[in-house]
Amino acid sequence: MGEDWKTEVSKCSKCGKCHTVCPVFLETGDEAMVSRGRISLAEALRDQQIVYTNKLRDYVYSCKKCMRCRKDCPSGVDYEIIISALLRGVAENMGIPLLPKIIFRYILPRRILFDTMLKVSSKIQRFIPMKKRGQMRHLPLLFMGKRWIPTLAKKTALQKFRNTKKLKNPRMRVGLFTGCLINYIYVDIAEAVVDVLNKMNIEVVVPQGQLCCGTPSSSMGDVKSSRKLAEVNRKVFESQGLDAIVSACATCTKTIKMDYLRTLGPSWKPISDKIYDISEFIYKYCGEEYETKPIEEKVTYHDPCHLLWVRGISDEPRNVLKKSSNFVEMDMAGSCCGGGGIFTIIHYDLTLKMLERKVASIERSGADTVATNCPGCVMQIADGFAGKNSKIKTTHSIQILQRALANGNINREK
Amino acid sequence: MIQARVFEELCDNVGRENVFDNIEERVCYSFDATKEKHLPDLVIRPHTKEHVSTTISIANKYNIPICPRGAGTGLSGGAVPVKGGIVLDLKNMDKIIEINAKDLTVTVEPGVVTKDLQDEVARLRLFYPPEPGSAEFSTIGGNVAECTGGMTGMKYGVTRNYVLALEIVLPDGSIINTGRKTLRSVAGYDLTRFFVGSEGTLGVFTRITLKLLPLPEKIGTITSYFKNIDDALNTTDSILIKSHFLPRSLEFVDKTGIDAVRGFTKEEIPEGVEALLLIDVDGNEKSVVNDISKIEVLCKENKALKTLVAKTDDERKILWDTRRSISPSLFRIASMKFNDDICVPRSKVREVLKRVYELSKTYSIQVAAFGHIGEGHIHLNLIYDEGKAADLSVHKLISQILKEVVSIGGTITSEHGVGDTKSEFIGLELSPHEIEIMKELKKMFDPKGIMNPGKIFV
Repeated sequence: MGEDWKTEVSKCSKCGKCHTVCPVFLETGDEAMVSRGRISLAEALRDQQIVYTNKLRDYVYSCKKCMRCRKDCPSGVDYEIIISALLRGVAENMGIPLLPKIIFRYILPRRILFDTMLKVSSKIQRFIPMKKRGQMRHLPLLFMGKRWIPTLAKKTALQKFRNTKKLKNPRMRVGLFTGCLINYIYVDIAEAVVDVLNKMNIEVVVPQGQLCCGTPSSSMGDVKSSRKLAEVNRKVFESQGLDAIVSACATCTKTIKMDYLRTLGPSWKPISDKIYDISEFIYKYCGEEYETKPIEEKVTYHDPCHLLWVRGISDEPRNVLKKSSNFVEMDMAGSCCGGGGIFTIIHYDLTLKMLERKVASIERSGADTVATNCPGCVMQIADGFAGKNSKIKTTHSIQILQRALANGNINREK
Repeated sequence: MIQARVFEELCDNVGRENVFDNIEERVCYSFDATKEKHLPDLVIRPHTKEHVSTTISIANKYNIPICPRGAGTGLSGGAVPVKGGIVLDLKNMDKIIEINAKDLTVTVEPGVVTKDLQDEVARLRLFYPPEPGSAEFSTIGGNVAECTGGMTGMKYGVTRNYVLALEIVLPDGSIINTGRKTLRSVAGYDLTRFFVGSEGTLGVFTRITLKLLPLPEKIGTITSYFKNIDDALNTTDSILIKSHFLPRSLEFVDKTGIDAVRGFTKEEIPEGVEALLLIDVDGNEKSVVNDISKIEVLCKENKALKTLVAKTDDERKILWDTRRSISPSLFRIASMKFNDDICVPRSKVREVLKRVYELSKTYSIQVAAFGHIGEGHIHLNLIYDEGKAADLSVHKLISQILKEVVSIGGTITSEHGVGDTKSEFIGLELSPHEIEIMKELKKMFDPKGIMNPGKIFV
């Protein structure tokens, strides 16, 4: 595996600018929990000054991988190279805990097993009383921790959209990469994508063999598992002859569009160029040509880190929301909601602090609904409101557009 | 090494959760923006002045070095624990205690980030001018300890001009107050001024009272590109000496500095530019527009290739991002740099720059020059790749430059402090007798020499 991180760490000037943007440092003020500190830890590992320990693992896992620091780094350090190497190092030197390992290696690559595992757990769920607007205490499987998260869907998105509608003269044919959260929990987001695109005369297919994008395994340094998943996804999507691939998950989009270029090499480029976040796609291909009747609710937008800081996408989802609702901006829309992966388990207290800030921003905006473009953020923010019995709803921006389109007429012929 | 019982005593007094002896934390608190590294034995993160006081008195009892640290963004090694011991991370003491708009003062804890303070007082239309390049992440405590200057020094002076009063923990654990929360005070010796810029070698600030100014209504920004350094320097003379303008900032960047950021900032810098001036003026709406247009004319009279006037705050930010990015961007050229902050009498700037470029050629080491040129200040950055041979010639080159700077009446440091990176050169500027007086003074406050040892003096 690459040794490029060893030279990358030398680029860091130790100026400290990452202090200003790191959402974790904002909460802790701890130099070991900010890019500059983690880079110095990588340097110390390289120079054999330190070894992998539990403590070190916690500092490595304290990174949200929002990549905001990379965007602003005046020395041009590609922090992702360094944090990925640290995660890989943790996995190689300390091993991956058994349960995640079994899931990454044996369950994620096998859709039927994954379905069964979750189905069993959803059966067991029924014995736990329903709480707070469909949010319930989940079993410690993939989404471990003391979280209020939604119940699993009875029918997954892949099952539900096995045979999507064939359009007569579609202007484009696109594939939907669902991602795990949308496939198993937020099937309604997938439904909104299919519905909206169909209304714009775009045919949608949901390729059946697709698997998890690989983020959970790569974020625990299990490169091997991630590569295996990437290779299956390549086969599934390459063979479809699609005009474009869309995803409603900011993290999945980042992974399959950008990380796969590293995992799969330059041959992925032609496909990668065709991958879009759903709002990005609508903005690019449908532009202004659809008519909506905006819903009356006040809607604000939360920028998912992987969409804003990695891909620089912020206007596109706002454009969709402005056309579909009574849009209001919130302050600090781009600050992390605290959700996502292993971080929320190891650093639960920090997750909560970040969530609190986000919830406060949303409340200050006066919005009735917060929309975002990532099911992970939806889950996290909904968790924040469920915890305090708030009336503010959390949703995906495509669902707002879906409602606005249901209200109005579509001008298809333009 | 710190003995187990001392460790326990520290934990008992400041709380185990604030004392770190694991190697990972020690690594993360071993450096500052000089990239120099020395492992501390412990990192302590106090939350109150009592924590600071007990930590220091325990350290004093057992002769353990104390290295106070703000955000670790300094450029002279001030926060690097060169003799080991305890790094006292003051980042958690970050409260703005009181903004007194009527008195034009603000009192803060040392860990407040400079920019956060500026933003907070600006809400009340008040102004804290000193603004180092790292203002967004450096702390006030660090700024006061190093007496930082920054971008607004031309018109508003440096940190020392704004520190009115200090609460200081001394090495014996006692707490003293210097100065008053008044805009003037001359009772007794000026201990406040003595502590400002003392680089953590005398005591630790736990409260700092700063002077504020009314916030100027508007800032105007203009950037001007020149085909050579002479044209740029002529422009600065035209502005300050011939036309009697007092800009808020008057910044200069040379070709190496420009090339380091070219393509990485949103500012499109034309090819063939060998010098850049970035000028801010402030005041009321009318005066700013007026000054900017006059300065633009002066730039053109001095053969500027192109001038750019910022029309919006965003455009201002883009122009300033270029300037602020230069220092860290130089690491794109090579992995190491020595960051100098000389200052010479204004009239000698031309001479010094000429000499520096000559010496840079002789020693085959690239030098970037930029800085607060209006004040005769220049950041000379020597850029090189790691290696013994390079280290040796870098050292020779620095010595030569500093010698010449002092000989024409300049200073070896004007805003970064001496730290340990320049301690060997202090004898160029100060006589043995003067150094002796300073050392005696330090001994009075810190008889055991536990406060930031290895800094300022060899």
